[in-house]
Amino acid sequence: MKLEGKTAFVTGGRGGIGRAIVARFLKEGATVYSADLSVGGSLDRHDEDGSRFVRLDVTNENECIAAMNRVQDEAGRLDVLVNAAGIEIEKTIEETTLDEWNRSFAVNVTGTFLTSKHALPLLRSAAEGGASASIINFGSYDGFIADPGLAAYCATKGAVHALSRAMACDHGPEGVRVNAVCPGYVDTPMLQSFFEGEGSGGGGRTITQLQKAVRDVHPMRIYGAPEDIANLVNWLASDEARYASGQLWILDGGLSAQVQQMNP
Amino acid sequence: MLWWAPMRLKDKKAIVTGGSRGIGRGIVEAFLKEGASVLSCGRSPVPEDFPVACVWMTADVSSAEDMERLAATAGLVDILVNNAGVQVERTVMASTDADWDHVIGVNCKGVFNACRAVLPRMRSGGSIINVGSVSGQAADPGMALYNASKAFVHGLTRSIAVDHGPRVRCNAICPGWVETGMLEAGFALASDPEAARQDALMRHATRRFGRPEDIAAIAVWLASDEAGFATGQLFTVDGGMTAASPISPGIY
Repeated sequence: MKLEGKTAFVTGGRGGIGRAIVARFLKEGATVYSADLSVGGSLDRHDEDGSRFVRLDVTNENECIAAMNRVQDEAGRLDVLVNAAGIEIEKTIEETTLDEWNRSFAVNVTGTFLTSKHALPLLRSAAEGGASASIINFGSYDGFIADPGLAAYCATKGAVHALSRAMACDHGPEGVRVNAVCPGYVDTPMLQSFFEGEGSGGGGRTITQLQKAVRDVHPMRIYGAPEDIANLVNWLASDEARYASGQLWILDGGLSAQVQQMNP
Repeated sequence: MLWWAPMRLKDKKAIVTGGSRGIGRGIVEAFLKEGASVLSCGRSPVPEDFPVACVWMTADVSSAEDMERLAATAGLVDILVNNAGVQVERTVMASTDADWDHVIGVNCKGVFNACRAVLPRMRSGGSIINVGSVSGQAADPGMALYNASKAFVHGLTRSIAVDHGPRVRCNAICPGWVETGMLEAGFALASDPEAARQDALMRHATRRFGRPEDIAAIAVWLASDEAGFATGQLFTVDGGMTAASPISPGIY
């Protein structure tokens, strides 16, 4: 078990990818706090998974402070912070309202900032023992190359990438490693909503046809499962990754390794 | 504003390899227009419609001897453009030893040969411009050796910039899809070349492919003194293609 004795805090912990990370961390022996807006999260389903649930809006600083105080009181330490909470507005900049823009940045960027800021004192003291503490942010392959009609999302993920490198520089000397995981297409409620959303359904295709079309663009002919992402997050959280910091880890089934494909 | 544009490469002497057609030809013509004296080379004799102002030498970049002869003929130069390149449309499994010798010989050893021969004869403030490719950063399917050879060019570009600055600057241009014989050869591989062309157009924010003069424009800038602080970098000019996800535009 790679995370025995460690305490981890996962935001978006009841969502598609977050839930898989929580499950994996538990399996690896960690004490896990699973933070989300509601017990069911974006999957709208509550399973008793063995994690400690924290009701948390990552855009609310007081709630972030309270969450970290609770971790301090109950567990007495924090080794791993995973910022998996995120939202996606499926619009171009012209269609995006200022409120939607601000909300995207509030959750995806400010949320990462706030939880990290208030987790740092705990992470720093965890690292004093010699083993490193680890922050894992959620970027996206969309932070490198754009999908159409996802402007605010692409911009927030680019911001998370830069923030991850900045945090790695600033807090590396304190023993805190910071990395960003950049998933491609992963089978989550967010992806399904993208398939069903206004920007999609082009050419009168069914969701199934759409899913196949997207799979076929991937060199691996699949899109990822949340567990694929959890595999990498687990490694980045573990002491095996003690030399890994400041990097953006693209995990996308080879999607972005190719130049535009020539279709017909 | 002046009614005429001052010539940006006046009094400069340039070598452009592979200048007979395509991107290289575009660069030769742009350099001449900007006032440079240009020497170009290729494996064939001088093409019939070649600009008379440009000196032509029949030479193969994959031959160190030929490149030494080219550099000696040119004498002191300010600009070297390593444009000569070949592509073989095969996967690793399908590639032969002859494919390797051909692609690596021209695209990798050719750039090395030319740089090694020309560098000692380069004036201070000189500029080397290598033609890399977007395929050196992400893979085009079925172009294994070509993709790898362009990644080599990118690596060598950085090394030359680091080793031979401040005397010489070295950058690479990464063209996307440019209307040349090489692009046509790519489409010819598709089951429906015309549909493939339309599909590819939709993947470009510009809704058009590049033209040799688009690449020549950045080459002129990199060759000029305006680019005095630009070195060791890859400059992608691809009509926005690689800014977009490879998901087909027809999917959504």
